[in-house]
Amino acid sequence: MLRRSLIIAVLLFAVVFGGAAAQDAPTIAVVTPYLAQPGTQFMVEAFQAAAAEKGWNVSVIDTAGDVPAVNARIQDVVTQGVDAIVINVDPSQAPALAEAVEAGIPVFGMDAGSAPEVLVNVTSNGYEMAAVTATYVVDRLNGAGRVVMFGFNPYPPVQKRGVIAEAIFGNTPDIEVIEFIEPDVTDGGIADSRARMEAILAANPEPGSISAVWAAWDQPALGALQAIEAAGREGEGIVITGIDANPQALEAICAGGNFEASIAQDFTGIGGLVAEQIERYLAGETLTQAVVYAPTTLITAANAACPAQ
Amino acid sequence: MLADRAQRSRPAVNWGRFLRSFGTLIGFLLIVVFFWSQRPATFMSVRNLLNITQQVSILGIVAFTMTVVMVVGDFDLSVGTMASLSGIIVGLMLQNDHALGTAILVALLAGAAGGILNGVLIAYVGILPFVATLATLTVFSGAASSLSGGRTIFGQVFPDGLVDFANGGIPLLTLNEQVVRIPHLTLIALIVLAVVWFVLEQTVFGRRLYAIGGNMEASRLAGVRVRFLRLLTFVITGLGASLAGVVLTSQLATANPTLGDGLMLNAIAAVFLGMTMSQEGEPRVLGTLVGVLLIGVLANGFTQVGVDTYVQRILTGVIIIASVTLSSISRRRS
Repeated sequence: MLRRSLIIAVLLFAVVFGGAAAQDAPTIAVVTPYLAQPGTQFMVEAFQAAAAEKGWNVSVIDTAGDVPAVNARIQDVVTQGVDAIVINVDPSQAPALAEAVEAGIPVFGMDAGSAPEVLVNVTSNGYEMAAVTATYVVDRLNGAGRVVMFGFNPYPPVQKRGVIAEAIFGNTPDIEVIEFIEPDVTDGGIADSRARMEAILAANPEPGSISAVWAAWDQPALGALQAIEAAGREGEGIVITGIDANPQALEAICAGGNFEASIAQDFTGIGGLVAEQIERYLAGETLTQAVVYAPTTLITAANAACPAQ
Repeated sequence: MLADRAQRSRPAVNWGRFLRSFGTLIGFLLIVVFFWSQRPATFMSVRNLLNITQQVSILGIVAFTMTVVMVVGDFDLSVGTMASLSGIIVGLMLQNDHALGTAILVALLAGAAGGILNGVLIAYVGILPFVATLATLTVFSGAASSLSGGRTIFGQVFPDGLVDFANGGIPLLTLNEQVVRIPHLTLIALIVLAVVWFVLEQTVFGRRLYAIGGNMEASRLAGVRVRFLRLLTFVITGLGASLAGVVLTSQLATANPTLGDGLMLNAIAAVFLGMTMSQEGEPRVLGTLVGVLLIGVLANGFTQVGVDTYVQRILTGVIIIASVTLSSISRRRS
C-alpha cells in the first residue's frame, strides 16, 4: 500500500509538471508579494494577456505578502536563466536584483520604484496626478478661495504630489492655502484626518470660510468629508479632491457630495506598457528611458463607474 | 485469517522500520532528483545549491532553536513576530545613530526578554503554550508596529558594510568566470545548528530536556528543575527568533513590522518534518535540518520548474501531510 501510494505520488508529479517543458519562446518571471491587491492584479493580468499575444512563457510568482521570499524567488529565476524579470516590489528591498544584473538578465519594474538595477520602471506620474487635481480645485473655485491641504512629506511619492499642488495654488493669486496638514497615518489616515479637519472647521466657523480640501491621497479626503458632514456644513460647497480613486472614494464621488474628484491610475495600461518595453528590449533596442509613465484619468461623478441608482 | 494477517504483517514491519527512519529522507532525495531531471543545467549547480542554503538560513535559525522548545513538548508561536520586532529595534536604533553592535545587542536582549516572558507564562503561571505564545505573538507584533509607527525603515539607515556582509559570502571557487561563494548567512545558520546540536545531544541539559519531553511528571519527581528548564528553552527560542530578525533586516536592508511574520509556520513545519525521521518521533535538530532543506528545495525547485505559485502551496502542504502520514502509519504498524 505504501509502495502504491509512492507510485501514485510520482505519477501526480509527472502530470503536474508534464506541461512545463522548456520551449524556445522567451521566459518572463513576474515576482510580487502583492498579487492579492486589486491594482497589482490588474497590472499582472494585463501583462499576461499582452505576453500571451506575443507567445511568451510567463510565470507569475506571488509570495503572498512575504517580502523576504521575493528576494529568494528572484534568486531562483536568475538561476533558472529567465529572459527577463518583472518586479512589483520596492527594489531597495530586493538585494538579489544585483545578481540579475550580474547575470545579464534585465529587470523591469511594474509600478515598482526606480533603482539602478531596474532597467525600466513603468508607473504613474505623481507630479501629473497632483497637477490635475490641484488644477481641478482652482478651476472649480474660479481661481479664488481658501484651501486646506493634506499631504505627507516623509513619504517621497506623496511628498511629490504636495509640492506640485502647492506650486499651483501659489501661482494663483486669489487662492490662499490656510493649512497644510500631515495627518497621522498609522490608523490608515482617515480618523486623524477627520479629527484635524474638525479642528479646522471649528476654527473657521463662518460659512464659505473654507472653499476646498485638496488631499494627496484618498484617505485624508474621506476623513475631511466625514468631518464636514458631521459638522453639518456639507451645504457650503466645499470642494474635496483625492488621489488614487480607491473604492471608498469612488463611492463618495458617486454619492454626489463634497468629494468631487480623484485620480485613477491605469493599472491595466501599466501592465501593457511593461510588456511593450520588454518586447523592445528583446528586439535588441537600447532602452534609454528609465521610467515610463502610464496616463492617469481624473475621476468625477461624470465618468465614475457608479452603480445604477 | 489470523495466520494470514500475521504472515502479511512481517514484511510490513520491515518496511515500516525502514520508512520510519528514512522515509522523509528518501522523499527528500526523490524530490531533489525530480527537480534535477527537470532542470538539469541549473538546479544541481553549486551556485543554486548554495543559494538554497542562503534562502533557508533564516528559517533554519528559527527552526533549529524552535526544536529546543519542541523537545520539551512545548512550542512557540511568537517567533515570527519576535523576528519582526527585533528587526524594527535594529532599524530604529540605527536610525537614531546608535552603534551597530549596540543595536544588535539590544535586539537580542529583546528576544531573550520575550523568551523569559513566554517561559514565565508557560512554566510558572501554567498557561498552555498555544495560548500564551499566541498572546505574545500579538503583543510583539503590536510592539513592532507601534515602535515603528507602522512604517517600513529602509535605505541609508543600514550601513553598506552590514548589508554587503549579509548578502555576501566567502569565495570558494570560480566557475564559468563567476565566483561561487559560501554565503555568510549559511555559515551563521550552520553555527546555530552546531550550537543547538551540541546543547541537545551532548550535554546533560539536553538529555534532561528529552527526559521532560518524555515524561514531565517523572522528570520532576526525579529532581529535574522542570520549570526552570522549560523557561530556558523559551529563552533559546526567543534568542533564535531575534537573531533571525536581525539577519533578515540586514539582508534586505529593510525593517518592517511584519517582515518576519511568515517564519513561524514554516519553522514548526520543519520541526514536524524532522520528527518523522527519529525512531521515537521526538524532535532532533538534524531532522529539523532536513525539514528546513525540504521546504527550501520545494520553493526553489517549484519556482525553477515554473509551477503556479498557488499550486506550489498546495503541493508543499500535500508533501508535508504525506511525509507525516507515512511516518505515523509505519510507526503504528511496528
